[in-house]
Order: sequence, then structure tokens, then C-alpha cells
Amino acid sequence: MQEKAEPPKRSIWRGRISIGLVNVPVKLYTMIRDKSISFRYLHKHDGAPLKYQKVCTLDKEVVPWEDIIKGYQINENEFVVFSKEELEAIKPESDERIRIEKFVNLISIDPLYFDKSYILAPNKSEDAYSLMLTAFQKIGMAGVGKFTMKTKEHPVVIHEYKGSLILTTLRYANEIVYPLDLEELKNLPKPTTEELKLATKIIENLSADFDITEYKDGFREKVEKIIEKKRKGETIIPERPQKEEAKELMVALRETLNKLEQQ
Amino acid sequence: MTTIIYYLKSEYHRGITVEKLTKVRFSNLEKILFPQSQIRKAQVIEYYIRIAPKMLQYLKDRPLVTTRYPDGIDQKGFFEKNAPKGTPKWVKTFTKYSETTNRNLNYIVCNNLDTLLWLANLAALEIHIPLSKTESYQKPDLLLFDIDPEPPSSIDDAIQIAKILKEKLDNLSLKSYPKTSGKKGLHIIIPIIPKYSYKQTREFVHQIGKQLAKENELVVSEFSRSQDPGTVYIDYLQNSQGRTMVAPYSIRPQKDAPVSTPLAWEQLQKGLKPKEFNIFSVVAIEPNPWEGFWENKQKLDV
Repeated sequence: MQEKAEPPKRSIWRGRISIGLVNVPVKLYTMIRDKSISFRYLHKHDGAPLKYQKVCTLDKEVVPWEDIIKGYQINENEFVVFSKEELEAIKPESDERIRIEKFVNLISIDPLYFDKSYILAPNKSEDAYSLMLTAFQKIGMAGVGKFTMKTKEHPVVIHEYKGSLILTTLRYANEIVYPLDLEELKNLPKPTTEELKLATKIIENLSADFDITEYKDGFREKVEKIIEKKRKGETIIPERPQKEEAKELMVALRETLNKLEQQ
Repeated sequence: MTTIIYYLKSEYHRGITVEKLTKVRFSNLEKILFPQSQIRKAQVIEYYIRIAPKMLQYLKDRPLVTTRYPDGIDQKGFFEKNAPKGTPKWVKTFTKYSETTNRNLNYIVCNNLDTLLWLANLAALEIHIPLSKTESYQKPDLLLFDIDPEPPSSIDDAIQIAKILKEKLDNLSLKSYPKTSGKKGLHIIIPIIPKYSYKQTREFVHQIGKQLAKENELVVSEFSRSQDPGTVYIDYLQNSQGRTMVAPYSIRPQKDAPVSTPLAWEQLQKGLKPKEFNIFSVVAIEPNPWEGFWENKQKLDV
């Protein structure tokens, strides 16, 4: 059975979808769950987790939060400094609105603009939400607009998916590299008709319906299997005496520290 | 594979719990250091934790020499005089020119529990001390008779000679303290006021050795005869600058982890088995056989 991503417990944003004069209160839920395996860094000698610290490159001292400012790097040793207030003043205002400005065909948006998808859920507005959802289903179009989450303004597209409305943030045009700017792609030779026929035939033979569940993260599955084995292995080794031993060391340490204090 | 996760978990467990009580971050606690008796590093550390209240006074303010056995006593250990790379800042050191190595060395000085446990964690099983302290390095505050039986002479012969020696010292009004060497011999120690030179203390021990050799055919007092079979050698040469003796309560790198154990004179009886004084039995010896040791710094008639 295909493993499902767990639904999130809490919404990450609340506001309204505005289409002209119509407002529908909505909540935004994370839709993408990153399942890649992550490891913690540990100290080889005692297994304790490591932490990151911000260290001054000049005096090698750890710098506390209150002593940190932001700088935009111009050259290797040249920065334009920004204060918190300056950045605050120019921050885009979150007006808690997702403004839909027009409707387009979803497939007219190239998928390479898609960034991250979120589930839109009604926020005590089931009737209004249901009406909007049904209208989206009926016209089969996607709404395009913009909204501000945290401090960043995103272009977004809203479309219907399996009985819900999905919001997908989009990349700005200047965030996408134009492929023909790469040297290798500038002067491609034309294939011969024969070659092209053969190639299209191969492609046609391999044509099928798309099913994402056919693909699995093999590395993650292997790591999970090893983790499972190791955990099972751990129960075979008697762990209690080990804990007892650690306790004994502590008991001995406490007793000795007391004795030394009395000396 | 299974051992790796288990190892990390258990070490981590200790790392966070034990750490609060000591600055030392213990590692490889499961490592077997005495393969024949399956004694692990954790047990060595526990021994040093438990013996510290009695032991630390003999290490205090002395530049130490250790013998480390990171891979257990069946592998070759190594002498360590110089503080090793990675020595924490809080470990006190004493810089002194070493004639044998021809350079300045930073000797470890162990004045607290943390340093002792740090040494234990380095598998510094054997801890040796000089007979003088850092502040008066030329003037010993300990006098050592190293009684070394040469087979077929045994510990019983060493005990017999030690008792004769004690009587002699008593007659000179000198209070002496015996300990097992942890191997086959005995160490008889006299705490003294640090005002004599090593040459004087050496000569003093040598003279008494010579007298004993005259009175008892078992005893030899000269190094040249120390290997003679069936004798008991009283070594006076260790009373020299730069020489060390195994510290009271130091472990010896032998099967069953024997300890160089301070004893009361009454405990020195025929049939005593030095091997029975090991890291498990020594912690239980009460009262302290050397009680009042440092209140007894004595004068020598030299």
C-alpha cells in the first residue's frame, strides 16, 4: 500500500481569498512533507549531538544574538549594513488577503514556475468555500493572483484538486534561467528524418499514464531498513546492566564529591 | 551494525548524565583494558573515583609520569611524561627540563578529582610520582626503601626484611609506612621535611641497606647484586631527582588489576598476597592505614 504523507495538525496562515468583491475566509495548510532522511551530527567520542554557533571570523568568539546585524555583501570585505528598523520599514505588508486577479488554464502555466503547494481550507466559511470550489470545478480554470506570507510576496495560482482548493506559489520570471543562455544549447544540429522517425517511435512505445506512486526514494527505504535492524539489534544486547553501570559511576562520583567536600 | 547504535546511545546517555558531576567526558567505557579478567574502562574509572579521597593527597603538586594502555594491558603501553595533545585547559601542568629527553616537558599535575578521572579516561593505568614536590623539586619530602625480592625469594621474604627494617627505623624514631608495589615487592616510605638533598636521602637509605645486608644474608644493598637469585634487594637509587615511584593506590598493568596498596604494619604478615589487593578490594580497606601520613614529616639524622 502506498504510504501517505501525514496531514498537518495546524494551519500556517489565515486570511481571505478575494475575487473582486467576494471574500472567502480560508486557512492555509502545508501540503508538501519532505521525506528525505536527515541525520544529526554527533560527537564521535561520546555520541552527543553537535550544535551550530555563530562565530566571529575575526576574534573566533561566539557572538550572541543581540550583537548580530545584517549586511549585504558587495565585495569580499565590503558590506552594506541594514538595521532591523530599516528592513521592517520596507517589508511588504501582509494584508491577509490572497488576491485573485484573473483566471487561466492551469496547463498554460509551465510547471517550472511552480514552487510550493498548500491546501486551502475553509475558516468557518464552509458555504462560501464550497460555492467557490464548485465554481472552480465547473469552469475548469485556475485563479492567478498574489499574496504575502511572512515577509515575501508571491505570485500564486489556485486550482481545484480532489475536492479542495490548492494554492501554489510561483517563481518570479527572473528566478528562472533561460535555457538558451547555455552555450551547449545555442547551436544544436538538426536530426535527420530517419533518426527522428525512430526516436518518435520509441517514445510512442513507451507512452503511458503518469503514476507518481511508481517512484520511490530507494536511499531512504534502505536507510530506514538499516535503522529498523539496528533498533531490533539493540534490544538483543542487554541494555539494563549498561544503564546500571552508568548509574554506578554517578553514584560513586556523588559519594566521592561529598567526601572530598568534607576533607 | 547493532553495536554502533548501542554504543552511541549508551555513551550519549552517560555523556549527559555524568558530565554534570565532572568536567571529564568519558569515552569508550566498554573497552576491555584487562582482557584476562574482562575488566572494562568503566571499572577502572569507578576505582579511581572511589579511591580519589585517599589517593589525591599523594599526587598533589607532583609532576606525574604515567603509563597508558589505551588498547589494554596485553598491548604495549607507553610512558607519558609530556601532557598529551588535547590536554584540557583546566589540567594543571608543570614545565621542567627533562634530562632523559633533552627538552622542556609539561608534566601533568593532578590536584583534583577531574584530573585524576581525565587520566583514568586516557587509560593512564599506572601513575608514578617523584619523591619531591614541584615547589621544592631538589628537596624530597619522601624517602623510599624499595624492597625487591629476587626469586626464589618471595613476598614472604620481602615482608620479613621489611619488618626488620621497620624495627631499625623505629629505633631511629622514624615512623614508616609500607605499601605493596602491586607486583612482587614492597615500598617502605618515610615522609620527611623537605630540607635534605636527594644525595643525602639516597645516602641515608643506602647506609641502612648496608647495615641490613651485614646483619642478614638474604639482603643485598648494591645494585650490582640486585639480580642475585634468592636475595632481597633494598633499592636506594630511586631516591634521586627525576626518578619516580609508583604512586600509592596506582593500578599496575597486570592480570586482575592489582593496586600498589598502602597497608598498616599489622597487615604485613606471612602469606600476604599482593595480588589480592586489586581495584575491587582496595576501596573497601578501612580505616585508612596511612592515617596522619602528612602530619608526620620527619627529620633525618644525616
